Amino acid sequence: MKTLELKGSLRTDLGKKATKALRRAELVPCELYGGEENIHFSVSEKDLNKLLFTPEVFIIKFDIDGKVFTSVMREVQFHPVNDKALHVDFFQVTEDKAFEVEVPVKVEGFAEGVKAGGKLAVNLRKLKVKAFMKDLPEALPIDVTNLGLSKSIQVGALSFENLELLNAKSAVVVQVKLTRAARAAAMAAQGK
Amino acid sequence: MLQPKRTKFRRQQKGKMKGNAGRGTELAFGSFGIKSLETKWLTGRQIEAARVAVTRYMQRQGQLWIRIFPDKPITKKPAEVRMGKGKGSPEGFVAPVSPGRMLFECEGVPYEVAKEALRLAAQKLPVTTKFVVRRDYVENSNV
Repeated sequence: MKTLELKGSLRTDLGKKATKALRRAELVPCELYGGEENIHFSVSEKDLNKLLFTPEVFIIKFDIDGKVFTSVMREVQFHPVNDKALHVDFFQVTEDKAFEVEVPVKVEGFAEGVKAGGKLAVNLRKLKVKAFMKDLPEALPIDVTNLGLSKSIQVGALSFENLELLNAKSAVVVQVKLTRAARAAAMAAQGK
Repeated sequence: MLQPKRTKFRRQQKGKMKGNAGRGTELAFGSFGIKSLETKWLTGRQIEAARVAVTRYMQRQGQLWIRIFPDKPITKKPAEVRMGKGKGSPEGFVAPVSPGRMLFECEGVPYEVAKEALRLAAQKLPVTTKFVVRRDYVENSNV
């Protein structure tokens, strides 16, 4: 998994006033938990956007006032109107303990069903996995070459080395949907 | 036109619409959407007009989700009637919309098509809107 290094600074005032002042200064209030104690800090909005506006998932190394912490992003709150990040939660991770993280799905190949006139739909863009840090891939490759018309791949049919998939086994990851035109052609063929 | 199948009461009070939308502010289904930047009641007719505009432009490609539902009955008194003598008769239904509320979402069409379709939809609505794209959106030719 890719690693991103970010710089943060500790927050001393945690109230509403101080938080609003931070946001005015184009900083985003953040919290890091999962370690010995919770750490409240702030990160530059510009730096944080590299993390938020991308399909990739990163392991983030924070340099907070000289101390280095390794973490993954857990939860983000956005402003309802201007869509700016209001607050971000990070979870501290270590090499020796497995943790849960969402990893993006990477669709590989050109589906047979798509060649036959269907439309490929990715229902789950990210899968929740539990793994050690060293085993985490950048993306989960899913080969759809043999996926025919109105066929799907469910989470239960997938397996990756050293990764435990936490989504429901019956959840559909990718499927080839019948388009209206393909459905009409199939109906016409049946009628004849 | 969207309206409830049945209602418990025929008339409702106007109510207040303060602040931004608390829920329904994020893209939940599609990759593209429009969200309201104003507070207003959207009538069932306006929502229907916007839906027709989108489906006509997308030429039955992709999928559209309407994220609001007009479930609030509005009443109107007939023309040239003196005030009083009770509340008017139900005239239609509206969806109260606050700033930040996602109105329409679409998927399965390229970025440019979605943007233009939703621009045409926005023209049918009485609120200013904003076009939004999923944060992790990447153009995929296979999808």
